This record gives sequence, structure tokens and C-alpha cells, in this order.
Amino acid sequence: MLLRASGQVKGENFDLHAVTEGTVARSGVAHEELLVAFAEAIVGDDDGALAMARSRLLQELGPNALVDAAAVASNFERMVRIADATGIPLDNFLDQMTVDLRADLKLERFAAAKTAQ
Amino acid sequence: MAELSYAGAAIPVRADLPDAHRRAWQRLARAGNWWTGAERVAIAAEARNASRCPLCQARKASLSPYTVPGAHSSVGQLPGAAIDVIHRVVTDPGRLTQAWFSKTMECGEITDGQYVEIIDVLVTVIGTDSFCRGVGVAPHPLPRPQPGAPSRYRPATAKMERAWVAMIAADQAIGDEADLWGEGRASNVIRALSLVPDAVRQLIDLSDAHYVARDRITDFSYGRSLSRPQMELVAARVSALRGCFY
Repeated sequence: MLLRASGQVKGENFDLHAVTEGTVARSGVAHEELLVAFAEAIVGDDDGALAMARSRLLQELGPNALVDAAAVASNFERMVRIADATGIPLDNFLDQMTVDLRADLKLERFAAAKTAQ
Repeated sequence: MAELSYAGAAIPVRADLPDAHRRAWQRLARAGNWWTGAERVAIAAEARNASRCPLCQARKASLSPYTVPGAHSSVGQLPGAAIDVIHRVVTDPGRLTQAWFSKTMECGEITDGQYVEIIDVLVTVIGTDSFCRGVGVAPHPLPRPQPGAPSRYRPATAKMERAWVAMIAADQAIGDEADLWGEGRASNVIRALSLVPDAVRQLIDLSDAHYVARDRITDFSYGRSLSRPQMELVAARVSALRGCFY
């Protein structure tokens, strides 16, 4: 939702399918392929892929951008575990604002897992 | 022990990151609310070990992680329930279920406060280690545990809502917890670990350095070297890959 909101402020309408479909989709965010590849490599366990993604990002966007990307990715490696390990529901305002978006991106499949036996 | 540093990194790392990591490492080594310093460092070590566990690897590859029996390969002396929590949260967080959590609590080996503090410790290690991996440096050595007993402090205003664990209500961060999130809306993910208030303080301290300061969350013009949309793309892709509904 914050990706969508951050685009709307500048009058841009990012395609959020890039989030759930990775590099297949195109969000419209600048340098998205580099950033998505880096995010995927950090979550994955292929050190070679990570080294390549890191090198590409460094070469194209510079060291400060690499640090920022690593910092954001690692932050959300923390946050997803906090959310999933405590079973917190969506905040009411988020729940209401994202009904259509969640349906479009088929995000309910992630929630269904929580009540599985 | 040498102070935590990124001096050996091939690229410069802005100072607020190692500063936040040092504070986190110092807190990691101290007794918390429910675990001693030695136990907290043991939790951190187990979190690092989890990705090498054959049982976790088999469960991750299976259609359901709850149909693969076995014992975790562990490196310490923590209770079995604690080891299971650590391994599952580290390796397969998107498939944690309320049924699993309830069974974990029912077994009686760990309390809800201990559970929350386990999550607090392991996400600190995961976040810092993931950053190191991202910038291409080795994980920092774990700190030497400090002596001292757990405080056994449980905030009086923490109550059960719709989450699995008790949390302080958004408008009940008062008294000793008045500093936790200040005025304004405190989202569920900020309140999630509030059964251990210092966990919230650390979450915010690390997030300020790694991501966006809380008072700028709705300022979408804010960015660092990456623009805000670029930051959100990375954040959202990581979250989607981990299967995180929130």
C-alpha cells in the first residue's frame, strides 16, 4: 500500500503486480529490475546470485543506493517475521483501504495459511 | 571484543546503521524481561543455526511443514519449544499458524512473554545478518553475554486483542511505556512485541536507520539514495516473497 501511496503523491500509478510477480511484471518504478533482483537475491540462498545482483546495483546506482537497498530489504526480513509470528491482523484503516487491491493481487492466499491446521 | 563496525566493508556504510546495530548488540547481550543475557545470545546463535537444520529444510520443501516429523539440529541448551519457535520463524515464517502457536503455548515449556522475547532477539539477528549479507560482509560475532537476571516485567496494560499475543493498546502506552510510540496511530506491527516494551523501542530504533523514521512514514517525498517508491518496492517484494499477508 505504501508503494501505491508513494506513487500517487507524485501522480504516478505504479503497477503493484511487480511486487507479487517479481521481474515478470513492470511496476514503473525507476530501476525496478535491479531492485527486485536484489530483493529476491537477499531472500534467496544463492550467494552467487546475490553477488551478481549486488554488483549490478552498485555499478548502476552507486554505493549509497546499495546500502539503502540492503537496509530496507533486511528491515523487512525482520518485520515480516514479527507480523507472522504474532498473528497480528491488518489495521482497520488498512483493511478498509486495500480490499480491492488485495483481491487484485490475490493476497488473501497469504492470510489463508494462518488459519490452516 | 572488537566493536561492531563496517570498516572492513568494500563500500562506505552511513553511520546511523552501525550505531543502531551496536545498540542492538549491546541489548542482545544483556538480560531481558524473561531470558538472561546468556540465553538471549543462545537464541541468537540458534537463529543463525536454523537455516542449516535438515528438518527445517525438509519442512520448507514440503506442502505442509506440519506433516514432517523430526527433531531440529540445535546448537544450544534452550527448551525444545524455544528451538522450534526459532527454527520455524527463521526458516518459514509465512506458514506459521495459530494452531501451531496455541500448541506451543499449551506445552508449557515457554510463556507468552518468553515467546515474544524470542521473536525480539531473532529478528534483531536476522535483520542485522541480512544487512551484512546484502552489503557483502561477514555476520558480526555475537556479543559476550552480560550477567544479570531477567526483570520479569510485564506491562500492566498489555491485553489480548485479535493477535496471538497480548499487546499494549494504541492508547495505553502510558506511564513507563509513554515513550513507546508517542501520539498518533500505532500500527499493529509496531505494537506486536509490546509485551516486551524494550523490543518495541529497538524495533523503532532499527527501523529508523534501516527504513524510514516513524514521524516521516507518511511523507512520501522522503527518500535517501533510493526514492521512497524504490524503497517501498524493495520492502514489498521481500514481504511478498516471504508470504507475509500483513
